[in-house]
Amino acid sequence: MRRYELLQEIAPIFDREFVICNLGFPSQELYSIRDSERFFYMLGSMGLSSSIGLGLSTQVNDTVVSIDGDGSVLMNLGTLSTIARAAPKNFILLIVDNGSYGSTGDQPTQTANGTSLAAIAKAAGIESSIELPGADAAAALRERLGQPGPHVIVAKVDPGSPKLTPIPLSSLVIRDRFRQAVAEAQKG
Amino acid sequence: MPENVNDALLHELKQNGANFFASVPCKLLGGFINALERDEDIGYMPVNREEEGLGILAGAYLGGQVPVLVMQNTGVGTLITSLCSLGNYFRLPITMLISHRGSPGEPIGAQVPMGTAVEHLLATINIPTYRFSDPADCAKVGKLVPFASVAEGPVAAILDFDFWGAR
Repeated sequence: MRRYELLQEIAPIFDREFVICNLGFPSQELYSIRDSERFFYMLGSMGLSSSIGLGLSTQVNDTVVSIDGDGSVLMNLGTLSTIARAAPKNFILLIVDNGSYGSTGDQPTQTANGTSLAAIAKAAGIESSIELPGADAAAALRERLGQPGPHVIVAKVDPGSPKLTPIPLSSLVIRDRFRQAVAEAQKG
Repeated sequence: MPENVNDALLHELKQNGANFFASVPCKLLGGFINALERDEDIGYMPVNREEEGLGILAGAYLGGQVPVLVMQNTGVGTLITSLCSLGNYFRLPITMLISHRGSPGEPIGAQVPMGTAVEHLLATINIPTYRFSDPADCAKVGKLVPFASVAEGPVAAILDFDFWGAR
């Protein structure tokens, strides 16, 4: 199972959840499977999907899911301690761990050499941190959506991506429709 | 009106709508960060590094808040990429309050190279940047908050030793 197949299983689960999606390739994959105004495609700023989700979770009642990557989380490990300290109950960090920098030619990351992001997250203070095979990620996500977080799910998958095209939405459209969806959700 | 610069600055920022703050420590910012910690009307997160602060504030903005990043000028070096590909690309109105080490008043030589570079770096990536040197200028600094919305992007205030009365 690659990230794409994992996202095929995850994407239908989202209902009222707000989703922050990491980088170009993962965002293209999610967009090609399913689009929603509740999805924020973070096309640059590698490493910040987790932090954006954390900030948003302090402002909304619905659950926020940040879809992140192993290479990206390794670039911003410090934010795991900030998540632990803020402890938002409505935040799930889903790390799709393919052990590689997928957007740049599948060079191995340190998770391919033994680093455990779930263990790091737990040591940072996020008690509900688990590593599991990608095939079990959808069930684990469903289960945690009903339980107070924060939760970290590290889903191990194979490297590789289908060939897709860039998302045909401008950054300002992504921004504005997402903010509008948040505003409407907060009204209701 | 509050008497000290820290309370006066926070008062002006709040008067102009700012309601969510993230900070990385600086000696010059110690009193201001204490004021943020004491204030129960605002959202506030201390962070480990400036990039994650920008990310958290981007999330807060997506959630309808008016965000301010409080940091030292040295952090601008690590922040450039995120300012470009998150702040500028998505045109996020984030006000940056940047204390200015490495400028006159500075006791530590190692601070000077980045102190000299900071305004050039911000100019290179097209962040509107204004310098304030007088504690009486808190009201002017506060005006950067609505200006970030008008400019539709990050804006920066450089607050030097004189501003904080630290010379």
